[in-house]
Amino acid sequence: MRQIRIRYRKIMNSDSEGGWEKLVRGDSFAELKMQFQRFNPEGRYFTFGALLGANPEAEQLHFLVGGSVLGYLEQLRGMIPDVADNLGHRFMRIADCRFEIIRSDIRDIATHEVAFNFYSTPLLWHGTAGSLLIVSDPRTDDNHDQQDAFDTYSFELRRHVSIDKLRELR
Amino acid sequence: MERKRFLKSLSLFAASPLLLTSCSKSTNGIEEDSSSSSGGSADGTTADTSCAATPVETEGPFPTKTPSSYVRSDIRKGDGLGAAMQIAITIANLNNSCNPLSGAIVDIWHCDVNGDYSQYGGTGMQSTNYTSLNWFRGRQTTGSDGQVTFTSIFPGWYQGRATHIHAHIYNSAGKSLLVTQIAFDDALCLSVNKTGSKYGYTKGTNGYTYNKNDNVFSDGYARELSSITGSLSEGFKLSITIHVSA
Repeated sequence: MRQIRIRYRKIMNSDSEGGWEKLVRGDSFAELKMQFQRFNPEGRYFTFGALLGANPEAEQLHFLVGGSVLGYLEQLRGMIPDVADNLGHRFMRIADCRFEIIRSDIRDIATHEVAFNFYSTPLLWHGTAGSLLIVSDPRTDDNHDQQDAFDTYSFELRRHVSIDKLRELR
Repeated sequence: MERKRFLKSLSLFAASPLLLTSCSKSTNGIEEDSSSSSGGSADGTTADTSCAATPVETEGPFPTKTPSSYVRSDIRKGDGLGAAMQIAITIANLNNSCNPLSGAIVDIWHCDVNGDYSQYGGTGMQSTNYTSLNWFRGRQTTGSDGQVTFTSIFPGWYQGRATHIHAHIYNSAGKSLLVTQIAFDDALCLSVNKTGSKYGYTKGTNGYTYNKNDNVFSDGYARELSSITGSLSEGFKLSITIHVSA
């Protein structure tokens, strides 16, 4: 039995159709345009990539811009979005979240591509059935891993979803 | 009759679509890999060719527009450390006889009692109270009196720098007007750090950098020097006028 953490990199760009995604993109673009100026005092650069190349301190912008859109995370009510079990339910809780600017040209919001990296609370991975991981959530009860029967979820590791931490138990 | 029922059952089975996995476009907007990347820190995105279940759940409330998480007056960390300090900043416009500038956006940020800034990888990052990620960072907009106020603490210090608060002032359209730092009186900082251990200032003053030796303030800091009244026990009040060209 292993304890795992799941990471889901939720990418949002000009193709994103959801209302929530559009709000995050719009607000993060506005914030980037503001905070970009601090690292670009001469106004020489317009793309995040070029700015990073010239001023490594601009790496802070992932955090600084993400810090502006935290209100949208509250609207997720603690659940990692989009990633469903085989029944179609979201089931993973957010333990941590990191905002990422993938690319952006501050002159054109169409270029603005960002991501929320969601990290799940620990899950127990019991086994695999076909392409499905069978996991349980230890937060549901105490001494969870001492039990011999579990309420489980079955889900597939789709693209942008990954096991990013693993610990062997016993 | 039997044959008819059998054939009918076959056709029903053939007609029913597989519903277990609906390969509808997910809402995370995966796009084709783009050949040139202007993003410096991450690889490009590639099309999602997997077929995975989209959540099918009771419709939730519609997403609502929220103001920037920075817009708040109380920027305290919530750990109870640090002597209370009210920060009052007035923005004056050099292009208007130094009259107060209305509608200016004022961002401030500073370190905690230990000299740390809120950032990824810092302590206390596991909370799901997301607004706690932004401790000691805040944003306010000036009114007609050109003023903003924040509730915070007397900052700590870190190696190589005198005690300071960062400030970035924008006009109402978000255009940067000034990036600056607010300086503190040396004697007061020494006093707080020598006598304030009860309030969390446990670093002492060994290795403290005075304003005259500070790489930001050493060329003169008269215009950046704040005026501070109060005490550790009563709390402090900081005031300063920052001049911008708007």
